[in-house]
Parts: sequence; C-alpha cells; structure tokens
Amino acid sequence: MNFHAESIQIWELTLASLKSRYRKTWAGFLWVILNPILMFGVQSLVFRHILRIDIPDYLLFLIGGLLPWIFFSTTVQMGTPIFVSQGQLLRSFKINPWILLAAQVLDSFINFLASFLLLLIPFFILSEKSLTLLFFLPIAFIPLFIGTLSITITLSILNIFYRDINFVMGFIFSLLFFLTPIFYPKEFIPPNYEWIIQINPVIYFIDPFRLIIYNHDLFLFSIAIVKGLLLAIVFSLTALWVWKRKRNEFYRIL
Amino acid sequence: MNSIEYSDEILSVNDLKVYFYLDHYYEQGLRDVFISVIKNPLEYFFKQNEIFYALNGITFTLEKGVRLGILGVNGSGKTTLCRCIAGMMKAQQGKIKTNAKIRAIFDTGTGIMPELTGRENAMLLGKLFYPEEKDIKSIVEEAIEFSDLGHFIDTPFKKYSKGMQSRLILSLISSIPTDILILDEVFDGADVFFRNKLAQRMVSLIEKTGATLFVSHSTEQIKEVCNKVMVINQGKVHFFGEVQDGIDAYMNLEPSKTQTP
Repeated sequence: MNFHAESIQIWELTLASLKSRYRKTWAGFLWVILNPILMFGVQSLVFRHILRIDIPDYLLFLIGGLLPWIFFSTTVQMGTPIFVSQGQLLRSFKINPWILLAAQVLDSFINFLASFLLLLIPFFILSEKSLTLLFFLPIAFIPLFIGTLSITITLSILNIFYRDINFVMGFIFSLLFFLTPIFYPKEFIPPNYEWIIQINPVIYFIDPFRLIIYNHDLFLFSIAIVKGLLLAIVFSLTALWVWKRKRNEFYRIL
Repeated sequence: MNSIEYSDEILSVNDLKVYFYLDHYYEQGLRDVFISVIKNPLEYFFKQNEIFYALNGITFTLEKGVRLGILGVNGSGKTTLCRCIAGMMKAQQGKIKTNAKIRAIFDTGTGIMPELTGRENAMLLGKLFYPEEKDIKSIVEEAIEFSDLGHFIDTPFKKYSKGMQSRLILSLISSIPTDILILDEVFDGADVFFRNKLAQRMVSLIEKTGATLFVSHSTEQIKEVCNKVMVINQGKVHFFGEVQDGIDAYMNLEPSKTQTP
C-alpha cells in the first residue's frame, strides 16, 4: 500500500464521517462549531469582565490560545478510543490503523478551521490590523496537526493495553488547561514557576497562532514554528517507536 | 479440483518466529499499574517476563495456483501466521519473501460506520479495499446485486443481522481477484443457501487469484476449496502436503500435544 492509496483512504473516511455527522442539515454543522464558540463566549466573559485580566485586545488574545487548545484536547480525547472502538474493523481487514486516526484528526481539523475562521475574520474586519501577516497563519497549522496526530496515535495504541487512558487524559487535560498560558499571557508567570510552562509540550503547538494573530511578530513566529516542528517530529518518532514495539500485541489484544 | 500445474513461487516463508511477552495481560488499566507500582515497585520493575511463542519457526513456500488449507487447533498460530503474511504483524525472526499483492480478510461481521446504510458502508469499504480502482462504483453495485439484500441495502448497517452483514462483506471482497488471497474463517456467518451461491463465486475468484490461504475448522470446506493442506501445531508446521493426508494428520493430533500456555 503506497502513500497515494492511503491518502485516498483517509479522505474517503473523512468525507464519510463528515457526511454521517452532518447528514441531516446545516444544524449538524452548527452543532459541531457551537462548542468552541460557546466556550470562547463564556471564557471571554469570565476572564475579561469578571476576573478582569487586563491586556489589550483580550478577545483576539483568547482566540489565538483557546481555539488551538480546544482542537488539541478534543481531538486527542475523541481519537484515543478509536483503535479499541474500531477494533473489529482493524482485526478483520488489512487496513493501516493510523488511517482511521488521520481521518478523525482531519475531521476535527475541518471543524476547527470553520470555527476558528468564523471567530477570527470579524475581528480583522473590525480592527485596523494588517491582513498580510495572516498569510503565514496556515504554517501554524502544520506543527499543531502533526503533533496532535502523533500524540493521538501513541495514546490510542496504549489505550488498547490500558483501557482507562482516556479517563486519565480527561483529568490531565483539565489540569493542563490551567497550567498552559491560554487565557493568561506567559508574561504573567513569575520567573520561578516558568519551568512549568517550559516542560508543557502543548504550548509549543499553540504559541505560533498567538504570535501571528495577536503579537504580529514574524521573527518570534518563525522561532516558535521551528520549535513546534521539532517537537512534532519528536512526537511522531515516539508514535512510530510505540507502534513498532507494540504492533504484534496490538492485534493480539484488540 | 486436484492436480494443477505448479509453476513459479509466489510466497516463501522462512523460519518465522513471533513471540509475545505475557506480562501485559495482568494489568487492565493505568489504575492497576499504579497499584502494582505502589504495592511492590521492585517486583514491578524487575519481574521476569514470560515469553510465549505464537509462531516457532514456520517454513514453507507457495507456488501459483495453490489453494492452501490451514488447519490447527485454537491458538496454534494460524491467524498470527496469516497476519504476518498480510503484513499486519511483523515477525521478530525469519523472513517472508513475496512480491504479490495480498488481500486478507479475517472477519465478515464488520461495518465501518454502523449508522450509515448498507449501501454507504459497502461504498466506503469498497474504497478502502480498492483505493486505486477507477470504477469502484460499478464494482460495489455488482457486489450489492450479488448479496441479494434487496431493500435492506438502504437501511442502517447496524440493524443488519450477523448473516446479512457477512453477505454484504463477502460479496464485496470477492469482487476483484488478487495475487494472494487470505481467508481466515470467513464463511461462518452466512447461511447455507448464500454459502452455496458464494462458493461458486469464490471458486471462480480463487481460480483467477494467484494463490489462496484458507483457514477453517471445517474439513468439509477445506476439501471443497483447497488442493494442499498445512497443519500447524504449537507454532510449527506439523504437516504440509496432500489434502486428505493433511486432514488425517489434523484429526490424529494428540490432544496433549496441542495445548498452548
């Protein structure tokens, strides 16, 4: 099976799952993007008006951190159980398992893109900010996509052996949400706690978004992209390593 | 279907070994790991892993035109061998040499998105099985026609009985010939009427196929389909040769020598 065949398979699976979800009407699509938009609405209310985090353009700041985070956390949690739930399919036919996950990640990615642009575009129309930097935004998707896919593959394989991983991940994500500078800026963190942020891998995938749509700093953006890509490569090598080690037992236990 | 001219070699398996560590099966979740580590960290990190050989040195070759029946008791390594040949599993030792296109089916009660209709599932599976086929639509339509599911084809796949699911999947996988076809206990779901209809289609498919590996517990089916038999026992080739001799060898396996840990 070559790469061309596999990309056809991924695309067909993604189409089918989009179709299956939105098969009714537009309402189905609305339902999927409602979650990030509501989350955004509530958080901007709480952090801006109640806790009064005082930084300029807070809404734009929040979009740049929150939306990639929602994509990352929901995709990992939706993807982790897939090898187990599609176990029968994987055992029955010769289908490369990662295709199923890639389709799932692509599916959530399309939702993410829709809600992201839906929130982002009005801000850029209303504010006087230059649109040229947005040209670089697609680059920010690359490390986020590869990183999310690789982490999901790794966890999905481990989930076969330890069936409660997703439950534990839900718990870890709720901790990680507060330990990642999503609704507060990195600059708020006192120097003696900075290490907590530095060992947190998620921030390296989110940072590029914020740097391009909020800080508009192309230099820091390119550094962040390099860091994000390196980390994404580390995670994909990890996924490959776990798969190589576990592939036989994968089919045995599934 | 007896003698056939054997020409060139299509698959060669040499001293194949696959083993597993048995320790994974004791822990069901991270909670169990957590508890074992806290309770006895030394034992957790230094315990001896028991090794179990699923395949313990399998060697055989397959020529074009061979329809090899594989017999063996549960846990003897039949499915592991098929998964290795299909490229799903990787043997820790030994070599599989082949240039053939391989299609493998291990179960037929599987839809991919149960909430979609049978037709949509068939279409999607068709695209997954034959991603580079140009005219996939007519292939799938033909398979649907063959499956005789009538108006059920447009109802959700999850409402199908096991037999109906297997009809659809079997019709679909028997559409296009391939170099090596691996069928692992796939006839079990379908009813006897459909099985007869399918058997003819399978035979004509198998005739167009380079070589077939056919795993079954039914010696009747093996006799019907195969022209060679391999008996696997405890991860080793116990017998390889003529069909009737193979079935006899399988029947005469001593129970004490078939146990797996």
